[in-house]
Amino acid sequence: MPEANYSKGEIMAAAGAREIKDGQNIVVGLGLPQVAALLAKNTHAPNISMINEQGVVGFSPVDPAVGMADPRMWYKATYFNSFIGTLGSFLHRGKVDIGFLGALEVDQFGNMNSTMVGGPGNTIRHFTGSGGANDIASLAKNIMIIMRHEKRKLRAAVQYITSPGYLGEGNLRQSTGLKGGGPWRVITDKAVLGFDRARGRMKLLSIHPGVELDDVLENTGFELLRDEQLPATVPPTAEELKLLREVIDPTGMYI
Amino acid sequence: MVKLNKIRSLSEAVASVRDGSHLFLSGFAISRNAIAVAHELIRQNKRELTLSQCIGAMDADLLVGAGAVKRYIYGGGSLDRFGPLWNINRAIEQGAIEVDEFSGLSMALRFLGGSLGLPCIPIQSLLGSDILKNLLNKEVPEVKVTECPFTGEKMVLLKTLQPDVAFVHVQKADCTGNAIIQGPRWDEDAAKAADQIVIVADEIIPTELTPFLVEEVRIPAGRVSMVVHQPYGAHPTSLYGVYDYDREHLTEYASMARTPDGMQEYLDRYVRGVKDFSAYLEAVGGLEKMIRIKADALKKY
Repeated sequence: MPEANYSKGEIMAAAGAREIKDGQNIVVGLGLPQVAALLAKNTHAPNISMINEQGVVGFSPVDPAVGMADPRMWYKATYFNSFIGTLGSFLHRGKVDIGFLGALEVDQFGNMNSTMVGGPGNTIRHFTGSGGANDIASLAKNIMIIMRHEKRKLRAAVQYITSPGYLGEGNLRQSTGLKGGGPWRVITDKAVLGFDRARGRMKLLSIHPGVELDDVLENTGFELLRDEQLPATVPPTAEELKLLREVIDPTGMYI
Repeated sequence: MVKLNKIRSLSEAVASVRDGSHLFLSGFAISRNAIAVAHELIRQNKRELTLSQCIGAMDADLLVGAGAVKRYIYGGGSLDRFGPLWNINRAIEQGAIEVDEFSGLSMALRFLGGSLGLPCIPIQSLLGSDILKNLLNKEVPEVKVTECPFTGEKMVLLKTLQPDVAFVHVQKADCTGNAIIQGPRWDEDAAKAADQIVIVADEIIPTELTPFLVEEVRIPAGRVSMVVHQPYGAHPTSLYGVYDYDREHLTEYASMARTPDGMQEYLDRYVRGVKDFSAYLEAVGGLEKMIRIKADALKKY
């Protein structure tokens, strides 16, 4: 296998971008989700609406931001409103096609924790909490998670369900009353994962070129569903790499 | 007829807050925080406050760090890449204050319902989460899982929120209280849910100008009790179109707030140890710094 001419961040961004269809409404967060969405917008999906939960829609950032609350993320926005105008009349109304989320931990059912982890004794460490994540996980048609592939992050069970996935095996999600479609893709630095949505379980879909199957399995804290034949993730094209490096993230902040 | 002038000094406006009040502050992470108000609440040694926000922000973290808060109701939050809300996280980890943790939209709906005078409002997120489980386990739960009486769909009924006072930092206001918010306005419904609204404006505009800027007026005079003129009152957080966040100072805050001792040192140096907000602005770099963070007219940051 020849040495890859792209970084982990670049193949993750390209894999994420390809899951986006033109015209979709997408709730994005800072970092790779934003990079993936911008790559899609600059290639096959020029008509997507990017939504920031804070009340900003249709933005085209040109400078690296430190977060969603950074006005750099609002540059050239076409609509300003509030939570109600984004997570309300887009998301709760059922009009968000893809919600990008990150998490400290994700489990085999796609449940996500961004709130707390246990420490020594009975102590806890508290992190960011939900923000819009619980709402997005509950109500978007599809959830796409972008994260590092590590055993302590991809666990059999999360320590706290901030944002619901399928909750458990079977149709628990539906019977709980959650209207959104639930987790759909997990893009890591080793593989693209999806879900058997009827069973509510995570499934391996493709492995990035140069990564061994054992490497994926050893770094996953639970048994992944998988087909006999596993394709390799399509690497980023020369055009995608040029856009990523020269237009979307020229300072290499996220890729 | 003389138009009512609602302009008060920062210290007068803050002096009207009673210990134990429920306050809303306009911050969201590192944007448009009511920092000058938080400082003055600390200097006037207000205690036992309840604070509520959609998303946690530096203004609330300062007050929690100063020991002024008894209860904090929020939907999660951070200082973006500058770091976590150290004081709030520490208070949760140590059980030092009562914290009700919701999601962003559920907080927004609690305020929206409050702004309409409704006692409760439904939402269809939170279901199945540990956020909901913890909220249902509270001694006096403010959420209830129920079914829609028309369709039978599951939903969570949220008790709405009506803070006693909302302190809202805005770009511009006139002396009667018409307030202009530029950029996203996550705080508009929360402000309107409050019994009293105090507008803190970076700039006061003549009332004659207001009708010409009517599309930008988000909070009308009829709902506003007081107006405070405080230039750079959101520093070190950003005020869209007016100034950028102060990277240098936020970095310093995030590093000092990391430990309780560091936080006390921060408060001594920049809040309790200075006479007023002008002295704070001098301490963080004065005019030279304010010129450096001035927003670009096109980019607005």
